[in-house]
Amino acid sequence: MNTILQTTVPGMHSSRSHIILDRLGSVIAVLISIALFAAPFATYRANRIVAGEGRMLTEALPTAGALGVTAVILCVALCAVLARAPVIRLAAAAAGLGAVFPALGWSAGFLTPAGNTFARVSPALGFWLLTLALALLAADALTRLRLGPLARLAALAVAAGAIAGLLLSGAWNDLSLLKEYANRADSFWREARQHLWLALGSMAAACLVGLPLGILAHRFRALRAAVLQVLSIVQTVPSIALFGILIAPLGYLAAHVPLAAALGIRGIGAAPAFIALFLYSLLPVVGNTVTGLSQVPPAVTDAARGMGLSRRQRLLEVELPLALPVILAGVRIVLVQNLGLATVAALIGGGGFGTFVFQGIGQTAIDLVLLGAVPTVALSFAAAVILDAMIDLAKGPSHDRD
Amino acid sequence: MIEIEHLTKRYGAAAIVDDVSFRVEEGTVAAVVGTSGAGKSTLLRMINRLVEPSAGRVLIDGQDTMAIPEDALRHRIGYVIQGYGLFPHRTVAENIATVPRLLGWDRRQIAARVEELLDLFGLDPAEFAKKFPHQLSGGEQQRVGVARALAARPALLLMDEPFGALDPVIRHKAQDELLSIQRRLGTTVVLVTHDMNEAFHLADRIAVMNQGRLLQYAAPAELLTRPAEAFVEQLVGSAERPFRLLSLMRVQEAVEPGTAEGEPLSVADTLHDALSRLIWLGREVLPVADASGAPVGRISVSRILAHGRARA
Repeated sequence: MNTILQTTVPGMHSSRSHIILDRLGSVIAVLISIALFAAPFATYRANRIVAGEGRMLTEALPTAGALGVTAVILCVALCAVLARAPVIRLAAAAAGLGAVFPALGWSAGFLTPAGNTFARVSPALGFWLLTLALALLAADALTRLRLGPLARLAALAVAAGAIAGLLLSGAWNDLSLLKEYANRADSFWREARQHLWLALGSMAAACLVGLPLGILAHRFRALRAAVLQVLSIVQTVPSIALFGILIAPLGYLAAHVPLAAALGIRGIGAAPAFIALFLYSLLPVVGNTVTGLSQVPPAVTDAARGMGLSRRQRLLEVELPLALPVILAGVRIVLVQNLGLATVAALIGGGGFGTFVFQGIGQTAIDLVLLGAVPTVALSFAAAVILDAMIDLAKGPSHDRD
Repeated sequence: MIEIEHLTKRYGAAAIVDDVSFRVEEGTVAAVVGTSGAGKSTLLRMINRLVEPSAGRVLIDGQDTMAIPEDALRHRIGYVIQGYGLFPHRTVAENIATVPRLLGWDRRQIAARVEELLDLFGLDPAEFAKKFPHQLSGGEQQRVGVARALAARPALLLMDEPFGALDPVIRHKAQDELLSIQRRLGTTVVLVTHDMNEAFHLADRIAVMNQGRLLQYAAPAELLTRPAEAFVEQLVGSAERPFRLLSLMRVQEAVEPGTAEGEPLSVADTLHDALSRLIWLGREVLPVADASGAPVGRISVSRILAHGRARA
């Protein structure tokens, strides 16, 4: 990179003015150049399962459109290299994404022959590289802006709103991903609900069980070692194996306990998936609860006892509030982990976005895989941002110096 | 009044505190001194039952502490520790309000009490009430810690190395401040320290402990002039003895009639301070004035030295 490092020596007034190139910006500019000039922007396929042909941006859009988009993206690259103010860099990234995303929908409409319902247009390497470069630029600008937790939540809401607007406007309707969605709109939302239920439900259950267990484990040293050992072992069992292990006992339960069957518990399906996710969630919740509680300064607990706070008052008013950021960090791990792991539930008939992923793999229909994978990734990302903001809010007043 | 009767704490066969008895009069300061591991903190923590005694009992104003539920007992006893243990997630005002809130005082009463205490400790309520502990200096944290302990007007204040975390300059100021507030409120104080200067500076009576046993419980001067055991003599520092003794006495006690040249000393100065002034100025005598500045006589090096001598 042609990065010129400028060092200012005290007492020496530099009369030369350098053009300062941003390092990350230079990397982003290179990515953008490759994406624009050396990689196909979209893939065209005659139908949903044949191999596709790449289309460069200039082929994928009408000439004027291609030039317009290229011009915008090059301006963004220039900003990435030269501009230093994070606000400008963020605006540039937003403008770039604002050009690239609609352009993809436009290219789908442009490339699909009129009246052909079999043809599929999907994003190709160029689009993904552009998205990666622009997302990097945006993430870097947001980091440099050092936004507070509430501002980060607002930024997430704006991004989600923009994506929702794009999807609802119909600009992407000609895209293969949306065509797959259109064919499966009902099952998509059913699996979305199932996915959220599996991930969030098992997390909630793990909190309900893990928090008291963590508190007990913190209080009784012998229990602590045993509980953490067992949970660590559970954590090392591969997810598919754990699903398998649960089939036998749950099947037995369903066959012999009418109440279990009535509650929908079967050897396969949502029940073993839910239980497996629950078991995986316990270690982060219990572990972080124990760690959080043991990080409370001894002087603070001693003073609390000495002032006559009862055991319950100490726990609720002093220990848990001080441990909360660490406990929430555990919940964050669980949530992101579960949103991802819940896709595997589809293997044993548990539903969720994994259904599309495994159907897609079975049919070598990559768009269908994306229909399952993209929402999963988006959910995990949003969950991480939200939980990080909550952790900052929980730290709040006692840490406002860092 | 605090009566400690045959108080003992055993862990297995080892007695951490071994049959200790003494009495602290209402409104006085008792310091418990000794080397580390002497059982000082354990003794203190048995008074508010943070440690349950193996034997013996503590009476507060004649009432056995075992007869009071332990949380209720602790609400009535102020407790200050080294490091203070301020709640980091609560503001200064919320920290100070801890015990009044537990006792169910109403909101206005609590706010008034917090303001009163901040004023008492020279912390401007407008500036400090909303601050968090990490925004305070060490000295300010210490004052908030003591203010929090005094919030519910306890008649008894227990302090475990309360000045240990302060630098020497601030420590001395904090000690003077504690003493003046203690005199004003009439609070009974039991203070654990390993700093002999602190004990001599603050205490009306000093309890010397070693290996769980109470060796001597006496007024500071008596500890110097009539140490009960060699260990006590060693602890108070035999070389320091005359100077410690002088710092326990006021100019008032050694003033003689007559006049002298120079800037007058006050009757309230310690003999230790007076002697330093005399040595530093190279004088044999200096005039003495009372609190209002009126001359009351003079003080001489020889009279001071006579007060620092061992008495048969």
